[in-house]
Amino acid sequence: MPKGLREIRNRIKSVKSTGQITRAMQLVASSKMKRAQDAARHGRDYAELLGEILETAMSKVGEFTHPLLTKREVKVRGVLLITPDKGMCGALNSNLVRAASEISNAAFVTIGRKGKQAMARAGRTLLADFPVSDRANFSEVRPATEYLLQAFLDGKVDTVEVIYAYFKNTLVQSPRVQKLLPADSLAAQAHDLRVRLNLPTTAAVADNRDMIFEPSAQAILERLPALFFKQAVHQAVLESKASEHSARMVAMKAATDNSKKIASALSLEYNKARQAAITQEILELTAGAAAQ
Amino acid sequence: MPLTVEIVTPDRRAYQGEADSVTLPTELGNIGILPSHLPLTSILAPGEVVVVLQGKTTRLAVDQGFLRVAADKVSVVTEAAIDEAKIDLKAVEQGEARAREAVAAARQAKEVDPAEVAKLEQILRFAAVQRLVKGRTSPGLTD
Repeated sequence: MPKGLREIRNRIKSVKSTGQITRAMQLVASSKMKRAQDAARHGRDYAELLGEILETAMSKVGEFTHPLLTKREVKVRGVLLITPDKGMCGALNSNLVRAASEISNAAFVTIGRKGKQAMARAGRTLLADFPVSDRANFSEVRPATEYLLQAFLDGKVDTVEVIYAYFKNTLVQSPRVQKLLPADSLAAQAHDLRVRLNLPTTAAVADNRDMIFEPSAQAILERLPALFFKQAVHQAVLESKASEHSARMVAMKAATDNSKKIASALSLEYNKARQAAITQEILELTAGAAAQ
Repeated sequence: MPLTVEIVTPDRRAYQGEADSVTLPTELGNIGILPSHLPLTSILAPGEVVVVLQGKTTRLAVDQGFLRVAADKVSVVTEAAIDEAKIDLKAVEQGEARAREAVAAARQAKEVDPAEVAKLEQILRFAAVQRLVKGRTSPGLTD
C-alpha cells in the first residue's frame, strides 16, 4: 500500500475516535445540563420569593441600618469568581477570566479549578478557593458565602462582587459582574433581581393593611440581608453550572459534527487515492503486457 | 376564599396549592393562619407545617427560614422541606449517623471549620424534625 494511503487511513481512525469521545462528552453534558438548568430555574423561584419578602418587609419598616448595608471607602474589591472545574466548554472559561482580569486592586475568592489556576498564573491575590460539586447544594456553597461575609465584616475586602456565567438559554451564556455587598439599599437590590430575572417590577402582592413583624422588624431584618446574600451567591453558582453544561454540550456537539465532516472528507480523499493507485497499477500491467 | 400556599426551598418548590388553614412553626410558637389574616412577616422555626384543604391534611417538615402572609397568600422560604409521606426514616437515620460521626471528628480536630459544623448541624436539625413529624402520625391514622 502506498504511504499516502496509510497516512490518510490513520487520520480517519484518529478523527473517528476523537469524534466518539466528543460524542460521549456531549451526551454526558446534555444529561447534566437538564438537571442544572432545572436547578437554576428553581433557584430563581427561591430568589424571587426571598426578594419579594424582603421588598414588602422593607416597604413597611422604613429606615434601617446594618453592617452589610453600609458603604465604605473601597481599598480592596473582593471578587468571587465562579468558573467550571474543567475545560472543553467553548469560550466560557476565557470569557470569565477576561472579565475577572479587567478588575484592578482586587482580592479573589474562586469556586472552580479553572478560575483558580488562571488567577494563580496571573499572580493575582487569591484569598481562598472552594470546591463545589455538580449538584451545587445550598449547603455546599455555604462555606464560600460564610467566608466572604466574614471577610467583608472584618474589613479584608470592602466590596463583594461576583463574576459568573449568566445562563440565558442553552446557546447563550454571558459573563456577568454583579455587586452584592455592600447592599446599599435592599429595595434597589430586590428591584435589580426582578429586572435581572425579567419579572414584573411591582410587588406581586398588594395588601395595604399594616404588617405585623414577629418577633420584631429588627430581628427579621438583621438576618434577611445575610440570607439574601447567601442565596444570591448560590443562585450565581447554579447559573454558572447550567451555563457550563450547556456550553459544553454545544461545544461538544460542534466538535462531533466537525469530526464527522472531516472523517467523510478524508474517506473521500482516501477512496480517490485508492482508486488512483489501482488505475495506476492496471495501467502499468497493461503497458507491460503491450510491451511483450 | 381559600388561602394560597407556597413553600419554596433553594432546590425546588416543595408545596404549591390552596388551603383552608395553615399551621406554621415560628420562633414564638406555632401560629395558625386562616383567610383574611393580617399581613405578617415572621421567622420560621424548624418544625411541622400543616396544610388543611377540605378536611384533607398535608404535613411537611421544614427547616428554618422566613414566612410572609399578605393578601391571603402564605409564602414560606426555607432551607429544606419535605412532605411527611416522603420521609424515609431509614435514610434520615443513616444521614444523621453520618453527620454525628462527622461532628465528633470535627470536635477532635484542632482546626474546626464553623461552616462545616453549621452544615452538619443543619442535617442533624432537619433529621430531628423529620423524625418528629413522621413519628407523630402512625400509618393507621393518616387518611
